[in-house]
Amino acid sequence: MTDIALIVNGENKTVSVPPETTLLKMLRENLNYTGSKLGCDVGDCGACTVLVDGLAVNACLILAAQAEGKEVLTIEGLSTLEKYHPIQKAFEDVAALQCGFCGPGMIMATKALIDQDQDLTKQEIKDALSGNLCRCTGYTKIIEGVVDAYQEITGKKIPATKPRVA
Amino acid sequence: MVDEVKVAEKTEKLESLRKIDDNLRLPSVPERIAFPKEIGVSAARMQTPAVGQRATRPDGRMHGLGQTKYIDDMFFPGMIHAKIKRAGIAHAKIKSIDVSEAEKMPGVMATLIGSEIPVNSFGPSLQDQPLLADDVVRHAGDGVAAVAAVTEQQALDALDKIKIEYEELPNVFDPVEAMKENAYKIHNNESNVYATKTIMKGDVEKGFADSNFIFERTFTTQMVEHVPMEPHASIGQWDANGRVTLHSSLGRITLGRADIARTLELPINRVRVIATIVGGNFGGKNEITTEPIIALLSKKTGRPVKCVFTREDEFISSTTRHPFVMEYKTGMSKEGKIMARKVRLICDGGAYCSWSETTLGKACILSAGPYNIENLHVDAYAVYTTKTMTGAMRGFGAPQVCFAYESHMDDMAAELGIEPLEIRLQNAFNEGSASPTGQVLEAVVVRDSLEMATERFGWKEWQR
Repeated sequence: MTDIALIVNGENKTVSVPPETTLLKMLRENLNYTGSKLGCDVGDCGACTVLVDGLAVNACLILAAQAEGKEVLTIEGLSTLEKYHPIQKAFEDVAALQCGFCGPGMIMATKALIDQDQDLTKQEIKDALSGNLCRCTGYTKIIEGVVDAYQEITGKKIPATKPRVA
Repeated sequence: MVDEVKVAEKTEKLESLRKIDDNLRLPSVPERIAFPKEIGVSAARMQTPAVGQRATRPDGRMHGLGQTKYIDDMFFPGMIHAKIKRAGIAHAKIKSIDVSEAEKMPGVMATLIGSEIPVNSFGPSLQDQPLLADDVVRHAGDGVAAVAAVTEQQALDALDKIKIEYEELPNVFDPVEAMKENAYKIHNNESNVYATKTIMKGDVEKGFADSNFIFERTFTTQMVEHVPMEPHASIGQWDANGRVTLHSSLGRITLGRADIARTLELPINRVRVIATIVGGNFGGKNEITTEPIIALLSKKTGRPVKCVFTREDEFISSTTRHPFVMEYKTGMSKEGKIMARKVRLICDGGAYCSWSETTLGKACILSAGPYNIENLHVDAYAVYTTKTMTGAMRGFGAPQVCFAYESHMDDMAAELGIEPLEIRLQNAFNEGSASPTGQVLEAVVVRDSLEMATERFGWKEWQR
């Protein structure tokens, strides 16, 4: 067993897990944060995306022990008891999630992107979310949701791309 | 004196125990559910009229908050984990299965092989698929044994200790080869063809004779996996009253329930299937996979048993979209009117039937496309091969034939020098047209749709 002390969603936690435990498994099974999902277990689908010290990482690819002393943010820590998070609201309003399995990962990746505080274009959003797969939506609504959330949070505008007509 | 020493030892032991206990202590406070409990209804849900407005989903908020509980997010007290051993060989006779080594592995509580299942076959139309192969392996993803252990990792480790002796049988990978009379019969039937459909309308030979041009081409499509984001998952509990409760990612629970009851030889009222939110189905979760296996493992161990497919299981053992071989022959008049069409569809069904019969029927009906064809002859065959079995997937055979008849249409348009839109408009269904099976169609908008679509995305401009 390995003892790990870390901060999850703003709370100090100490967990004792077998050394081979991934961060995702620890979050889901020991701390009961089941919002992050296990989709592929090899880092392809991004359904397990969480923020470790502000960076989006695939929680299935890092060991729990590597998060020792770090600050982890999962989907459960995004909203507060008082405030619904603008990204989650935007995703709900544009119906960006259908089966919803990719949702928590998508939203955490979006959070990491918007937190970088850069001027974004639609293409940059697409590139930044390329590590998160979705099988239901065809991504259109997800990108719409990210654009809405970005505009809401930063107050900046993303120029609407013209439909390509030759 | 002696007693004192003993007491001292005991205190020392207790202290060290307490210390270890302290290290092992897990957080006793459950996670904070951090979201406002009274969020207003999304504006998009309140709009009237609804048509032409943006829509939201009633479950969208739960998904976004990460509060939706899929099967893998559920934990029951004392729950253990099951994993399935895959054959890894396309076609072989099983000579022996030895699970004794696996049972000795740490954490392993039970194993299961095919011969322990009361009725080891299932399927939505033909019951030709074993839950765990006990006699013959017919594709590499066939399950051969299951292990239930305390943790997922222990179950996976134990799978490596299962010893199976195979005697290889000939592989049949090509559906066209599989149809031949001398092909190896995968299910010991008279033929590997297990379903046929025919549609005959008008007189095809006369139609061809009246045609100015005859076009022939063969089209093929490939196997496609659904890849739902959530892998197949289920939790089984066998209780002391002999009732089985299954939480499952199954899409068709009533159909699945009947199949589960049949395989377990239980009256259907002893089986309870609880469906939750499914993390993507696309047709791949329309039939049972491991449910009876985990029910039996739960019976053996007296514990709730969870089985979640690995992504590898998902690719090699769950159903896929049917590969089709489609032979098209079409007779055309000089003006570009379809005079006659003959279609031969060969549907590669993989190792087991699954939904192939229904898929074949749908492909057959739609194989002529939305076009008026007086003389039509369609022959369709579903064939066993020793590949991953194929089943329901969105469209149910329609996308395959659509690819074929539309590509065929483009070929003919190019050959005849007619504009692709024009040739379609000339042959498309009108109000009151009859489908290949004689159904008279109402509210036919194929022409309007074509015209509107081509106008909207600048087809004419692109043509120049």
